[in-house]
Amino acid sequence: MGRKLDACLNAINEVVLGKEPQVRLALTCLLGGGHLLIEDLPGMGKTTLSHTLARVLGLSFQRIQFTSDLLPGDILGTSVFDRDTGQFTFHPGPIFAELVLADEINRATPKSQSALLEAMEEGQVTIEGATRLLPDPFFVIATQNPFSQGGTFALPESQLDRFLMRLSLGYPARSAEKALLLGESRRDLLPRIEPLLDHAELALLQQQARQVRASDALVDYVLRLVDATRSQPQFAYGLSPRASLAILSAARAWALLAGREYVIPEDVQAILPAVISHRLRERTDPTGHGGGALVQWLLREVPVL
Amino acid sequence: MTSSSLARPIPRVSLNWLLIAQALVIVPFALHVPVALIVLWLACSFWRIQIFRMRVRMPGTWIKSGLLVGTAGGIYLARGSLIGLDAGAALLIAAFILKMLEMHNRRDALVLIFLGFFGIAVGYLFEDSLLWGLFTLLPITTLLAALIGLQQSGISSKPAATLRLSAKLLLQAVPLMLLLFLFFPRLEPLWSLPQPSNKALTGLSDSMAPGDIAELSKSAELVFRASFDGPLPPRNQLYWRALTLEQFDGRRWSQSSRAQVPDAPLWRREGERVSYSVVLEPTGKPWLMTLDVGQTDLAGVRQMSDFRWQRRRPIEQSMLYSVESWPDAVRETVLSDGARLQALQLPAKGNPQVREWAAELHRRHPQTDAVVDALLSYFTSQPFRYTLKPPALGANSIDDFLFGSRAGFCAHYAGAMTFALRAAGVPARVVAGYQGGELNPDGNYLTVRQFDAHAWVEYWQPNVGWRSVDPTAAVAPARVEQGLEQALAADEDFLADSPMSALRYRHLAWVNSIRMSWDNLNYGWQRWVLGYQGQQQLQVLGRWFSGFQAPVFAGGAAVILGLLALWLFKPWRRESDSQLRLFNQFERLLARQGLKRQPGEGAQAFAQRAAGQLPAHAGAIRDFVGEFEAQRYAGGDGSVGALRQRLKCLRRSLPWRLSAVRGKQS
Repeated sequence: MGRKLDACLNAINEVVLGKEPQVRLALTCLLGGGHLLIEDLPGMGKTTLSHTLARVLGLSFQRIQFTSDLLPGDILGTSVFDRDTGQFTFHPGPIFAELVLADEINRATPKSQSALLEAMEEGQVTIEGATRLLPDPFFVIATQNPFSQGGTFALPESQLDRFLMRLSLGYPARSAEKALLLGESRRDLLPRIEPLLDHAELALLQQQARQVRASDALVDYVLRLVDATRSQPQFAYGLSPRASLAILSAARAWALLAGREYVIPEDVQAILPAVISHRLRERTDPTGHGGGALVQWLLREVPVL
Repeated sequence: MTSSSLARPIPRVSLNWLLIAQALVIVPFALHVPVALIVLWLACSFWRIQIFRMRVRMPGTWIKSGLLVGTAGGIYLARGSLIGLDAGAALLIAAFILKMLEMHNRRDALVLIFLGFFGIAVGYLFEDSLLWGLFTLLPITTLLAALIGLQQSGISSKPAATLRLSAKLLLQAVPLMLLLFLFFPRLEPLWSLPQPSNKALTGLSDSMAPGDIAELSKSAELVFRASFDGPLPPRNQLYWRALTLEQFDGRRWSQSSRAQVPDAPLWRREGERVSYSVVLEPTGKPWLMTLDVGQTDLAGVRQMSDFRWQRRRPIEQSMLYSVESWPDAVRETVLSDGARLQALQLPAKGNPQVREWAAELHRRHPQTDAVVDALLSYFTSQPFRYTLKPPALGANSIDDFLFGSRAGFCAHYAGAMTFALRAAGVPARVVAGYQGGELNPDGNYLTVRQFDAHAWVEYWQPNVGWRSVDPTAAVAPARVEQGLEQALAADEDFLADSPMSALRYRHLAWVNSIRMSWDNLNYGWQRWVLGYQGQQQLQVLGRWFSGFQAPVFAGGAAVILGLLALWLFKPWRRESDSQLRLFNQFERLLARQGLKRQPGEGAQAFAQRAAGQLPAHAGAIRDFVGEFEAQRYAGGDGSVGALRQRLKCLRRSLPWRLSAVRGKQS
């Protein structure tokens, strides 16, 4: 199984060039059963990454472009009157895919955002009184552009908390960009990617990730980290227990990716910035994006042993 | 502190404490500096507060110059000089007051604070009692608080917290203070220590007119305290000799010129020995008080021809000395001609009645002792009175006293008896000193005050030597048996100078017991704190380091070292988790190679870094950390022994170093 994961990583890295750490984290996020938020400028490869992930993992893929006039029905689906049968039939929306890319999620109104976020949390949607299960596995990769804020509705903290990780891709390295410019178009590459995992294998991997051993000593470290956010003065507020669970499940998936059956503190440290930086606020600047600096402080100061 | 921070304004909290500290430093000086200075201080403080409230401005150059010149001139007028302790202290206090007015920035405040500390030290020259010592803790604490406040920003300062911190600093300084107190050598000052002029006013002088000692009885001032090693001698043997008066001019007895010549007299020890130690208050005179015949090995002190002990310099600080005395010693069985002449000296004229009466006595009693007995029996048989207020005497004062008024104080009796003895051809002299003293049952020591001043008589006969006799004891036995206050219970002049003295209320048992306890405390302070210098320090240290006490000293040192080690190594904080303990050893091992793990650095990351730095030992390092991780995180069933084994391997492979290598850490 470990070799399959490595093969997946390699396949994705062939399409998304020069982004090994982010790709690894994205795969970790999916193995950990969480949803992913990618924050970056347009054109940095967010869609490509999502699409590639879907292809490699053998998932059906849907993309929703969020705009300000997007309605919840456009995401979830609507019942349409069928003249032939004389009945309403349900037309499922794009959310009924195994991997959903919610592009520029902050452009939609809070009402539409929450339709998506509720689906993410519950794993099911209720439309016109009927509860419909979403496919399993179900992943959401949402993207947002943090820089152009005109006409956007920033996700509130409570919604951010639902994403297991937040990543930022960033500009590619020079060599990676050169390879990109010289190589084939990504759009042509994508259809040729063969799925490397089937649903059963993915479910098994997720199951294995949940079984990775987290010893007492390691859990103590996680608790020390969480305690620090709750007791130190520079944090506006502490991490929630949901965040503690997120840290642990991400660390487990990371350890699985590294081919280990147990979690070590370095695993926690590797996933910590992605998992908690969007959940933290600086006391002096409760609206800003000081989470990154706070995470660095935690990594530096909280004793590992 | 950089120069720019020195120029910053003074924080409010510091200014508050500075004002309080100034008051605390100045108040004890109130009795020693001119009153006008106190007025100046109040005015300046008021001004400063008004400046602080932005009601008035800082004084200009002209006002400041005027104040300076005016104050200096005022001190010159009040003290007649700008030099000397009193004028110097007044100048210091004046500077301390005026500096407050021209205080702009932190540098000025620092100057003021240091002036305050100096002022406290100068205060010790005026007063060194226990109470004063305790009181000075207050200004020291507030000055420290002002110093701390000076370092704080204007916003974050809290007065109480500042004071608490300074009190804490003071407490932390206590062990160091004790250490310095015990071991720091007490150096003699290179110059004579200046004395405040209002000190050492009363006391015995080197001459005595009949009323002088009666004057002393008005004062309850402490002269000395004495602790006896053995049981206390009976009260009627407690004659504390200060000096002898051998020259009589018809009215006044004074020291003879012979007495100034250092010439140790001959005497023979006999009878029981009495040993005791005395803490003498400053008298401004060079005599030490001893019982007859005293022997002390104090440096700088010698016995003079009349058995008194004298120091080279006057006693201007309280001093402690120990003496051994032989009350029954035989003194000077042979008298030189010069001494004999001096002991028989009489004025050429005057007091004819006494001379005639004495010649008659001499004729009747050829034995010297019989003459003395006859004189004493004359005092007892005639209606002599013992009083502080004798009637005035005429030109032939001794005639008038012996045959007329028959009322007098000890000096009258001693003077008259010496005169009569000399007139009868018996060498004699007046001895001035103190008699008795008050026993403090709490501390089992004697307190001798000025009103215990006394005069008695010594006479000489061949082969027997000098003998003491006290005519006052014949007239008023209560004086010697019970003390002056009993003998003069009805006399109003007694303690006239001390209306508030607790001695006046000694008939109230509780007042008396408080007074005794307080006196005991002060005696301890005198003896063990102020007196702990010079020889006593050497003695105490010598006792500690001597062979007999060496085990005790070594034991004490071991206990202190042990406590220090406990405090440093904190064994109770030792890791109970054996894996972590071994990992800590691993860290210490690598720390000696210059590798230190950061708190946020995991074992794996640290091992990688270490392996990079010490490639030769990478295998051993990875082995240990791999095993550590397997045990700690994978729940492996490896034993602690396996981990210890790997640590041992690593330790063997590493070069042995005692301490960290510098500069290797990246």
